[in-house]
Amino acid sequence: MGQEIKLLDIKNLVKVFTIGSGFVKSRITAVDNVSFDLESGRSEIFTLAGESGSGKTTLARIILGFIEPTSGKILYKGKNITEIKGRKEEMWFMREVQPIFQNPFETFNPLKKVDSYLYETVVNYGIANKREDINSAIDEALNLVGISFQEIQGRYPHEFSGGQLQRISIARALITKPSLLIADEPVSMVDASLKMSICNLFKDLKEKQKVNVIYITHDLATSYYVSDRIAIMFRGTIVEIGPVEKILIDPKHPYTKILRDSVPEPDPEKRWKEKIKLSSFEEREFLSIGCKFADRCPYVMDICKKECPGDIILDGVTVKCHLYSA
Amino acid sequence: MSVLKVKDLKSYYISEVFGIKRTVRAVDGVYMEINRDEVFGIAGESGCGKSTLIKTLLGMIKPPLTIVDGEIYYDFGDKKFNILSLNPDESRKIRWEYISYIPQSSMSVLNPVRRIRDTFKSFLGAHKKFEKDELEGLVKEHLSALGLPTEVLNAYPHQLSGGMRQRVTIALASILKPKVILADEPSTALDVVVQRGVIQLLRNIQEEQKNIIIIVTHDMGIHANICDRIAIMYAGKIIEEARTDEIFKHPLHPYTTYLIGSLPKIGDKSYRVSAPGSPPPLSNLPNGCSFHPRCPYVMEKCKKEFPSLLNVEDEHRVACFLVNKEDDNGARD
Repeated sequence: MGQEIKLLDIKNLVKVFTIGSGFVKSRITAVDNVSFDLESGRSEIFTLAGESGSGKTTLARIILGFIEPTSGKILYKGKNITEIKGRKEEMWFMREVQPIFQNPFETFNPLKKVDSYLYETVVNYGIANKREDINSAIDEALNLVGISFQEIQGRYPHEFSGGQLQRISIARALITKPSLLIADEPVSMVDASLKMSICNLFKDLKEKQKVNVIYITHDLATSYYVSDRIAIMFRGTIVEIGPVEKILIDPKHPYTKILRDSVPEPDPEKRWKEKIKLSSFEEREFLSIGCKFADRCPYVMDICKKECPGDIILDGVTVKCHLYSA
Repeated sequence: MSVLKVKDLKSYYISEVFGIKRTVRAVDGVYMEINRDEVFGIAGESGCGKSTLIKTLLGMIKPPLTIVDGEIYYDFGDKKFNILSLNPDESRKIRWEYISYIPQSSMSVLNPVRRIRDTFKSFLGAHKKFEKDELEGLVKEHLSALGLPTEVLNAYPHQLSGGMRQRVTIALASILKPKVILADEPSTALDVVVQRGVIQLLRNIQEEQKNIIIIVTHDMGIHANICDRIAIMYAGKIIEEARTDEIFKHPLHPYTTYLIGSLPKIGDKSYRVSAPGSPPPLSNLPNGCSFHPRCPYVMEKCKKEFPSLLNVEDEHRVACFLVNKEDDNGARD
């Protein structure tokens, strides 16, 4: 097979955090042997879903280059990003991959006008020098998110609603014309009535601007709506990865099943009936040797507590579970 | 029989800084009636006044929050009162035994430097006199009835996970078997699986103690799961109120239609539309119906008058001129 260069190729990524100092140290593997890739030449929205503490934000921060991985490789367009050196390469990478953060009220400095952020982004990335060119670059990016320059000129962050601010921060990310957006919980702080408009915006950007999005969330319902593929993370590992229709309609891994069933459906006829078991000690799950879900799994077997399950490809979905090993 | 009756409640945040008076109309003319053994949900987006309504129902009124108008009657059979006219001593006696409260952030409720056991002791000791052993037994019994491990009593709050802390807070709020539990976003900051556990716990308590639970959250999925009746709040007013299945099947107000129609569902990828525009700031509300700048069916009348909340069908009330065509401005009692 010809080696095609992928847009993003993550191979056996590991990040270990040490807690405490001196003699009482404990190591927590926040990201444990994670591999996935995004194909180049097509645009898609890829969801990383999981509960808090599953390592999804850590993974995003590693891809963005904010923290260094303990081991493993991240290739972006064939280039290993942990080996990026020099201002020029760094600029190229930062232009290509842009972040969108969770809380739009925290991304903007309350004492600065909103347009100054857009202005600075244009100047810092060397996209334009002249005043007119800068304005047109900003205007172009704002048009993509459905806001006009006049609406934001000379206004402070507190004058906007959360939904509008999130749109502006998406516009800021789009100024550099990136190929990949990394959006960490972009809709969780946005008002309920405006949430879907942000989701629609991501779908729009994917189709019209051919932008790839890594959408990080705990909300399975919106991820089903926006994304093409989904990876379910649990305690640092990806337990199941594949097309969103397959994974959320017919989950294979017992953890995905529990997660899927726990999403409160906005339908009074579909109330929860079965009772569930909650984990009482998070740290123990991180430190256990075998499958990390073994303690809570309803189908637990002896082998689960001894060995980590490997990847099993089943019906277009990759799942890590001993239940499916022959 | 209604236990709680709210009449034309108006609670505003009034502040005066350097001679500039600012009024935020957080709760602006709310009528409510809640029956015995009922789980009542209040839904709405952030900044619509739902948390202020809960605070007022609890009688937790501190400046700049001011009650401009209205009455809140509780009728527990053996005790009847208007919570707004009680003095601080009387309202302290009522709290926890009759009306209790579950806040959103459990970390700020539990004292971080005291063990859970001590927190339970000081809460209970303030309300009833107990023998030393009796108290410990009561707490343990209550915890095991709720399915929580009794070891948590020895723990400090930071040693517990977020879900466990929230369940301890719920145990604390329900230990004296209050008649009314007010829950302000009890599961919002939690993961989905843990959230399910917390809602399960609330439902168990309600089935056992037969109390009223008033639950405030923006998550319509939670409302669908636990509530008997739901009220939708927008800009300080209740704009629609109905039984849960009714409101999900036949929403009448345009805002409710948007809110319910825009909910994503797993297994359904059809295009969802959000309501246009954004919610108005409570300090500067538009004239007439506060939803009219965003409403696709806006009429001339909507810009001038506010529609009153009227009965459309049995137990289904809506405040919209589209539905209440023959509204003759007759105020409800």
